Amino acid sequence: MHYSVTDHLLIVILGFFVAFGPRYIPILFFSNRKIPEWFNDWMKYVPVSLFTAIVVKDIFISGTYHFISSGNFDLILASVIVIIISYWTRSMAISVVFGLVAVMLLSMVI
Amino acid sequence: MKQLENGPQWRVTLKEAWPLCLSYTPIGLACGILLHAAGFNTILTGLVSVFVFSGGAQFMIAQMLTTTAPILTIILMLFFLELRYALLGSSLAGYLKGQNHRFLFFFAISMNDENYAINYLKFVTDRNWTPKDALQVEHWSLLVWTVSNVIGSLIGSAVKIDLTVVNFALTALFLYMIVMQIKTRLILLISVIAGILAVFFMLLTKSTLGLVISTLIASFLGFMIESYVTKRWPNSHLLYKIHDPSGQPEVDKEDIEI
Repeated sequence: MHYSVTDHLLIVILGFFVAFGPRYIPILFFSNRKIPEWFNDWMKYVPVSLFTAIVVKDIFISGTYHFISSGNFDLILASVIVIIISYWTRSMAISVVFGLVAVMLLSMVI
Repeated sequence: MKQLENGPQWRVTLKEAWPLCLSYTPIGLACGILLHAAGFNTILTGLVSVFVFSGGAQFMIAQMLTTTAPILTIILMLFFLELRYALLGSSLAGYLKGQNHRFLFFFAISMNDENYAINYLKFVTDRNWTPKDALQVEHWSLLVWTVSNVIGSLIGSAVKIDLTVVNFALTALFLYMIVMQIKTRLILLISVIAGILAVFFMLLTKSTLGLVISTLIASFLGFMIESYVTKRWPNSHLLYKIHDPSGQPEVDKEDIEI
């Protein structure tokens, strides 16, 4: 199958709708209503759960959704470095920059 | 008050957004290059960066176009991927109370994982952080993301980028966010559970739907354990605080009106 520019435009337009719907509807719904306390208590754990899931996907899940049990040692080691730096410095900029430098060096070595 | 102390608002928000902008530059370039390789022209690359504004989604589009997937399949996979934004929106809505529909529309349109992470952290720790500040952080990231995508598209295949290395900028950003979130042993436990569930459900669903399912379950477990433990064993080790080496005073949740 070959895509035309119209196909690409269609992907952008439909992509907009599937990206916008999940972002907009809950915000609109919950910010105009009294939110029950238990719901807030639940949502409190969403960021840490989602971020962990994303990190795990980046490091341990392949593009075809298989578990990467061997390899990726560079990413794992760099992650440990980032965790330690984040913990001590509490600085996002330092963590990201050191993380990038670490992964660049490690990917050359490993 | 804030204006007087820290200069104009754009500088206050840029101060929070620049590490993200820094991470976005190489990833945006890489994304633009990949979209170019997949046949997307520069104008459409700019449009998709503004209107979809999601690194994960744009990488997925590029990848699925090269495997010549049907358009409907691409859109369906995008929907699964973007479904997690419903959770982000739900958890941020409490801080956006009283904003008009127009504001919420523009806030939602340019919210994504990374600027959400920054804004969530700011809302929780800084009582002076306003929805308008949050929107500006979104716009900084949107600007840098779009510009670097367009430049990447123009460079095209002239430059070869190591995607694993570039993508780690975002992984590092999320790792930082996780570390900043982990304030009690219970949160640490939930983070570990979320990681294990994420592997399980992504292997099971073979899609990013696994992200949504594992987040829903892990966060709900956190809520259940917290309410059970605070009721039954208020002195439980699970509720112990984890040491913060910066020694910054904690802003109490009660101080911030939700």
